Amino acid sequence: MKIGVFICHCGSNIAATVDVLKVVESAKSMPEVVYAVNSMYTCSEPGQQAIEEAIKERGLTGVVVASCTPRMHEPTFRRTVERAGLNRYMFEMANIREHVSWVGKDKAANTAKAVDLVRMAVEKLRLDKVLIPKFIPATRKVLVIGGGVAGIQAALDCAEGGMDVVMVESEPSIGGKMSKLDKTFPTVDCSSCVLGPRMVDVAQNERIELHAYSEIASISGYVGNFDVTIRKKATYVDWDKCTGCGLCTEKCPSKKSYDRFNEGMGETTAINIPFPQAIPKKATITAASCRLLSGGKCGVCAKICTSQAVDYTQKDREITVKVGAVVAATGYDLMDWTVYGEYGAGRYPDVITSLQYERLLSASGPTGGHIRRPSDGREPKEVVFIQCVGSRDPSVGRPYCSGFCCMYTAKQAILTKDHIPDSRSYVFYMDIRSPGKGYDEFTRRAQEEYKAQYIRGRVSTVYPKGDKLVVKGVDTLVGEQVELEADLVVLAVGGEASQNAPKLAEKLRISYDGYGFFMEGHPKLKPVETNTAGVYLAGSCQGLKDIPSSVAQGSAAAAKVLGLLSKDKLESDPQTAGVDVKRCVGCRKCINVCPFGAIREVDMRGQIKAEVIEAVCQGCGLCTATCPQGAVQLSHFTDNQVLAEVEALCQS
Amino acid sequence: MAIHEQLKKIILDTLPGVECVIGWGPGQDALHGSPVFMRKPEDVDSFMDTPLGAFGAVNNLALFLPELSGKKVGVVVKGCDSRSIVQLVAEKLIKREEVVIIGFPCEGAADLTKIEKALPEGREAGEVTGAAIVGETLKLSLGSEEISLGLADIKADKCTRCKTPGAVISDAFAGIAGKAPEVRDEYADLAALEAMSLDERFKFWEREMSRCIRCYACRNACPLCVCRDHCVAGSRSPHWITQTDSTRDKLMFQIIHATHLAGRCTGCGECQRACPAGIPVLLLKRTFNRGVAEIFGYDAGMDTEATPPLLTFQVEEAHIKEREWQ
Repeated sequence: MKIGVFICHCGSNIAATVDVLKVVESAKSMPEVVYAVNSMYTCSEPGQQAIEEAIKERGLTGVVVASCTPRMHEPTFRRTVERAGLNRYMFEMANIREHVSWVGKDKAANTAKAVDLVRMAVEKLRLDKVLIPKFIPATRKVLVIGGGVAGIQAALDCAEGGMDVVMVESEPSIGGKMSKLDKTFPTVDCSSCVLGPRMVDVAQNERIELHAYSEIASISGYVGNFDVTIRKKATYVDWDKCTGCGLCTEKCPSKKSYDRFNEGMGETTAINIPFPQAIPKKATITAASCRLLSGGKCGVCAKICTSQAVDYTQKDREITVKVGAVVAATGYDLMDWTVYGEYGAGRYPDVITSLQYERLLSASGPTGGHIRRPSDGREPKEVVFIQCVGSRDPSVGRPYCSGFCCMYTAKQAILTKDHIPDSRSYVFYMDIRSPGKGYDEFTRRAQEEYKAQYIRGRVSTVYPKGDKLVVKGVDTLVGEQVELEADLVVLAVGGEASQNAPKLAEKLRISYDGYGFFMEGHPKLKPVETNTAGVYLAGSCQGLKDIPSSVAQGSAAAAKVLGLLSKDKLESDPQTAGVDVKRCVGCRKCINVCPFGAIREVDMRGQIKAEVIEAVCQGCGLCTATCPQGAVQLSHFTDNQVLAEVEALCQS
Repeated sequence: MAIHEQLKKIILDTLPGVECVIGWGPGQDALHGSPVFMRKPEDVDSFMDTPLGAFGAVNNLALFLPELSGKKVGVVVKGCDSRSIVQLVAEKLIKREEVVIIGFPCEGAADLTKIEKALPEGREAGEVTGAAIVGETLKLSLGSEEISLGLADIKADKCTRCKTPGAVISDAFAGIAGKAPEVRDEYADLAALEAMSLDERFKFWEREMSRCIRCYACRNACPLCVCRDHCVAGSRSPHWITQTDSTRDKLMFQIIHATHLAGRCTGCGECQRACPAGIPVLLLKRTFNRGVAEIFGYDAGMDTEATPPLLTFQVEEAHIKEREWQ
């Protein structure tokens, strides 16, 4: 083997704390290294050209680049060596930036460590084998999980691009959180007027197959070929027959059902259509509140229904679909603010969440758009908004900023003044975070034009006094305590990852962070990709974001799906596990640990052996680590390669 | 009827339906026993026909089961041996329906190393001409010399912490299983090791492992060692262990062996019993066992339906709070 080693300066990123020339000199004496050179920016065009030329002129058969993290530029350099005629896997990268120059100041120590890392890469390269990717056929269909604004955008854009779409929504209607909002910032335009038509587009688009009130039961397969089982939850109404006339909802005698759509601000009937613009506009029975389904006698809705759509015997059923890609757009939940004893922990009816307040503001809400206190139905005159409830608060495990609360609070203050001109709004805030287009102007308008009084400080306690609520806090700008008597307290409750996000992530085999938000492939360069091929993200499931950003991500995810499935066949990564049948004793340990179901047991002349399904294998290496006899080896990361690296390190 | 007579009767009843029944029989001398594979009724005569009887039934006969899989066999087990079978079944390395498990109320088994140590200076186990258990003592004759040893003093250490004197699972049982004793394994044997500094501990292992002759008896005696002919110890690719005669390489093997057994080892102690150099290799496995019990609440070999915690993949482990941010 003839190995060439290229040591990158990365400007001064590496060269400032690593003696690059010394690393070059050391590399020259490493086994099978015939050429070693330094380069100012190896990833630049001249840098890559130098590699190509060296391969051709010196007949290199393998290349090591010592530079930055392979996460970013390994694909770059693989293409480089491939252009020069080498197999792309005859390439190794040593990370002497993130692992060396950026984390240490001692130049001598850094240089020694860089030499070690280069030696390890050389030793691994010496055992590299040529790997050839395979091509697998792909299904040109995409699954969009979640019918909020991000999912809707992704679905419509995919359909526009000629892709068939399967949309799965867990609630009886699509629309997500946006459908619950009254107006949107910073334009104060009607939320349902903006979203409604898009929801209708979803319903009418022939390419989109909508499954509302459904969940993902399981997903197997791999990029291009996912097999999805969708559980359609029992609605007790045959949606093919239901016309959405709403007669049943008028006659249902059980009127005390928790109104999910209205965030519990009102009560609804056991059989209901969540809101007038619902898509699909079909009735669903909440079994727990239904008199008949909970064991009593009733059947009024079945009698009244002119199309005989009500079916009390309906059961959950499962359907399967085959798709080539998945967009997860599962959104967020509000955090459980009742952990805050100081705000009453849910004991006072007139302390409500911002989303409940949206329902009070909405013309289609339980109060018909008139702001009324939940306790006595009186119109509030003094409204206190408390920001950062469950945001930027490490004490409740929510150290992050939810990002959108500053803006919607300003909007709600403006709307309060619009609805009740003689009202006064107070906003307790930590910092006003409004870095979007027209956002800062908007928060200023709330203060200057709509006279919302912004108080920089936290609230220490809220307690009832007569029919009012006393809000005690501090104004840190004045340095004084503040005590206000409020008619209504609105908590700007922060968001958190959906309750079921981790479970879905496991089904999708994608990572999620400590809060349950799905992990993007790269924080800057792969914001909608995940580390699982063919699975993309859109909207707040990746991290909390406002409507414009969610829509942008929906479109971005759609672009990725359209790009991926623009070809009939996909290239599979050959860095997969393989079983040496001579060594395999059929103990099945690899089968048990494989998170992807990529290993099956086969009968070979009466003996049980493990077999890797290459297209399913993601190359995670769990089987390799588990196999006691080393029969399962991961191509490009064999035990021998890892041992050679360890050996190189230990013997230096 | 004495237990061993009852066992013989069960074995005779079992024989027609199985390839063989594995039990204990006479060995090279009065103290040592040896496994017997009984195929015909007359083979059963030698069963436990030894001076030490059930007390000398030291071998864990579960060892032979994976190799015999595909055939129906009977096996006589002590409580501890039955745990190995449970584990093998849980790992699907043997089929439950292929094994006829014959249990008996075990009162403990001998530790031959302890007996040898109790012999007069310079005398070996092979010189013992006669042995008999009388009450709670073992009477040995070395030619004209008579020695009396208390059974409690020569019992294997594992018996003192045994919580399964009867079989965990069995198809036939001789006599009546006593109530499981209330013992808690305090891992007292690990205390001395852990009191050492890291440096001292490493020196301890270097000293112990320097006696290793790489015979791999420890591996061969382990009922849960499944790699058999494909052991990393003999493999050049992957080349985990070098063939150089270094203490570290010997220790490396023990560490790999212990790692392979983490969450699987039932603590039967056959590895240590088999070691001709008397290296306390069980300590390594027991260190893992304690860790697995603490972290996963798992005790290997107690439930055929259980999933060994290290042989599965879970994003979120019930007892490892990786994602708790508070």
